[in-house]
Amino acid sequence: MATTTIAPATASTYRGGLYEWLTTTDHKKIGIMYVISSFIFFLIGGLLALGVRTELAQPGLQFVSNEGIYNQLFTMHATVMIFLFVIPMLAGFGNYVVPLMLGAPDMAFPRINALSLWLLPLGGILLLSSFLLGGGAQAGWTSYPPLSEDRPLASTGYGQDLWIVSLILIGTSSILGSINFLVTIFKMRAPGMTLFRMPILVWTVLVTSVLVLMATPVITSALIMLFIDRNYGGHFFDPATGGSAVLYQNIFWFYSHPAVYVMVLPAMGMISEILPVFSRKPLFGYKAFIFATAGIGALGFSVWAHHMFTTGAVFLPFFSLMTFLIAVPTGVKFFNWIATMWRGQLTFSTPMIFALGFLTMFLIGGINGAFSASVPVDFALHDTYWVVAHLHYVLFGGSVMGVFAGLYYWFPKMFGRMLDETLGKVQFIIMFIGLNLTFFPMHMVGLAGMPRRIADYANSGWTDLNLLATIGGFTIAASMLPFIWNVFVSLRSGKIAGDNPWEANTLEWATSSPPPPYNFDHLPEIRSERPLFDLRHGKTGH
Amino acid sequence: MSSSPRKRSTSAVRAIALLVIVVASFCAVFFYAGWWDAMFPVKAVTSQAHQVSELYTVIMAVATVVFLLVEGLIVWSILRYRRRPEDTELPPQIHGSNVLEVIWTVIPTAVVFVLFVMSLNTLNTVDALSKTPDVQIRAVAGQFQWQFDYLTPDGKTKLFTESTPLAANGGGLVVPAGLNVQLSLTSPDVIHSFYVPRFLFKRDVNPGMVNRFEFTIDPTEAGQTYRGQCAELCGIGHWTMQFDVVVKLPSDFAAYVKERTAAALVTPAPRPSGSVALELKAKDIQFDKKDVSVAAGQAFAIHFTNGDPAGLPHDVDIRQSDGRTVLQDKPTVDGGKDVTYDYTALKAGTYTFICSVHPQNMSGTLTVK
Repeated sequence: MATTTIAPATASTYRGGLYEWLTTTDHKKIGIMYVISSFIFFLIGGLLALGVRTELAQPGLQFVSNEGIYNQLFTMHATVMIFLFVIPMLAGFGNYVVPLMLGAPDMAFPRINALSLWLLPLGGILLLSSFLLGGGAQAGWTSYPPLSEDRPLASTGYGQDLWIVSLILIGTSSILGSINFLVTIFKMRAPGMTLFRMPILVWTVLVTSVLVLMATPVITSALIMLFIDRNYGGHFFDPATGGSAVLYQNIFWFYSHPAVYVMVLPAMGMISEILPVFSRKPLFGYKAFIFATAGIGALGFSVWAHHMFTTGAVFLPFFSLMTFLIAVPTGVKFFNWIATMWRGQLTFSTPMIFALGFLTMFLIGGINGAFSASVPVDFALHDTYWVVAHLHYVLFGGSVMGVFAGLYYWFPKMFGRMLDETLGKVQFIIMFIGLNLTFFPMHMVGLAGMPRRIADYANSGWTDLNLLATIGGFTIAASMLPFIWNVFVSLRSGKIAGDNPWEANTLEWATSSPPPPYNFDHLPEIRSERPLFDLRHGKTGH
Repeated sequence: MSSSPRKRSTSAVRAIALLVIVVASFCAVFFYAGWWDAMFPVKAVTSQAHQVSELYTVIMAVATVVFLLVEGLIVWSILRYRRRPEDTELPPQIHGSNVLEVIWTVIPTAVVFVLFVMSLNTLNTVDALSKTPDVQIRAVAGQFQWQFDYLTPDGKTKLFTESTPLAANGGGLVVPAGLNVQLSLTSPDVIHSFYVPRFLFKRDVNPGMVNRFEFTIDPTEAGQTYRGQCAELCGIGHWTMQFDVVVKLPSDFAAYVKERTAAALVTPAPRPSGSVALELKAKDIQFDKKDVSVAAGQAFAIHFTNGDPAGLPHDVDIRQSDGRTVLQDKPTVDGGKDVTYDYTALKAGTYTFICSVHPQNMSGTLTVK
């Protein structure tokens, strides 16, 4: 294995830089390209969201010329953000960090790793090309049939088909990536790195990979059936000919609910790396954390139908109970995070600030989930802006906060230079305000009865709250400017990071920044989940 | 520990003071701006909705306690445990506590279990169906219009159809206050969702299956009108798919049903002699003509053929030239069928003829000379 990974890297001196990046099988370069491409899609998805917010700022259709375009905006916003930003962004961090954390020279299958990376831009370009080919998909990111099938007033052009094909490609990338992670984690650990000494981030990637591997093939089946229905006259989901429209929803959510944990668990893992380092304490309840992660993963497969409470075709008590129960392991994590900070010595570098942002905001997304777990309350809230508020507190307040915590934390390792602290804090403040301004009023407008996915509204009681959310949306967009500026400035002239700028404890900080192609010249002894802590303080593991 | 106990205690006081100020000012702003009230659902108007509203309040109470507790602990940690210059030695390296883990697993489990049982109890009344409801109505949701079929008490025979969904146009879902109404939901095309915010309730309208639910509007609500709308994305006219719930006294409701049932049984009067029946066809959600002209001051008729497949209803309404103000509203005709619409005389001018189900695709100019 070692020879295959080192070979292209040593040859790199004879090749152009671009060629080297395009053909690399080095997990670090692949991880960085994952992160960069995901960030570009994050900006594209953000622009689509700004289109949605601009249209909703005031009643009447002002910004888009018709509802079809509006429906494309939110459909593509969600699709890009979920499948081309959050999931690959976290996979990118996993790619970069997991082998380093395990003391491994690379991922188990470097070439498959490159394949799973390059499937993503292919899927993304296919998806976005639909805008040039008669319009994007417009049946929502959920694409429920019969709306997403060939009905007179459903989607136009090839948008829906391109959507299906690109999702299958992205799903294939996820499956390949998850197999790669699992083999790497089980087979490539350095001597002494037992399973229960692995960093929590690796554990969350492990559980996430199991979720991806079990769930993604299932949604792929739904997508293929939808494609056949649309193009070859299949009748899987067409009730007029004996199919079932609700069947699609079951298959879709069997993947897409676990996908929420795919989008959140690694972010939780990153937080669990960052909080102890900036509290100068070990993570409180390391094993409890692992069991809670596994518990969320397992329960995650038994709650999918809580997206379908109002269909009238669901066994309500079971899915309600399971949804309530999944709050418990999440709560355990919260208490452990707080206990980690408790009686510690906290410093507030930008990664820590974003990690605290994750804690305070993801909490809201967790609590308002309990409302939807209660079936009768969900009857009132389902498909209103309340749900939009909930999912954005989870995915923006949780995942995006976690992603930026991770970016500030591992950027020095990736590029050898520190990001600027002041710009980082400016970004955090603008983003934190923007996030709450955008998503908190959505609770209220949802409770006031505004459904999601409507291009226009005539209810005057909803106008102020919508305007507030639109202002918030542009505030979030503004917070990206200091970040992008920060990256450009710091790459050229940021402070030199050194091996371990944060006094961190996991193995990726035991090598140079950036690490050599083969990762480690030598490894410290691994006797606990904090090998570098043991090295610094001369202690043996507990 | 390098810092003296005294320094620790003064900083603890400062931390508590800061925490109190932060929390108090946050709460003050929240209440002052009226945001606290906005965190509750709109006023409930059915006996079922009152139960949902009460359940919401209970969950909100628990959520508020959890929110303040956890955010308080986070803010407290930030204020109290910041690293000070004198902190050169490591803080105690505590790896965990099984007792605490058990406590913060068992207590939340108990709390969510209680919430689950309460939810289940409410669900059993909110979702209950009676054998003999007082009124049976079938809501038919099609792209992009609601239609309400009033049924006999046994639910088997249709009395009449209300095809105008908005009260402003003289229609709406007319229901009696204080009586138990069972609504059955069907869709000829895609999935829709019946949602009235004041009912704190929605139920999907799935093609290929019939969903039912019941509601009883408070007796005090007679005379009120509430807006409802489709809550499941159903295509390019999704947001326009609105309807009104018009609440009447039971006696007025009985009179309304009687009158409409009688009207539905009457065979339409023959067209006034001398008026012309124009031909108009619809196919692929388009009219075959974009311009139609008739004589001023004369009643006229349009023989309309809906050439689209069954499940795709159309109609031909007459509106002002702005395309919005409805002048003459006609019931829809299903795909594959035809109908002759009679219109009253119009003054000379330009009008719009339009399908109210597909206003974006199907409209044209009616010239009256």
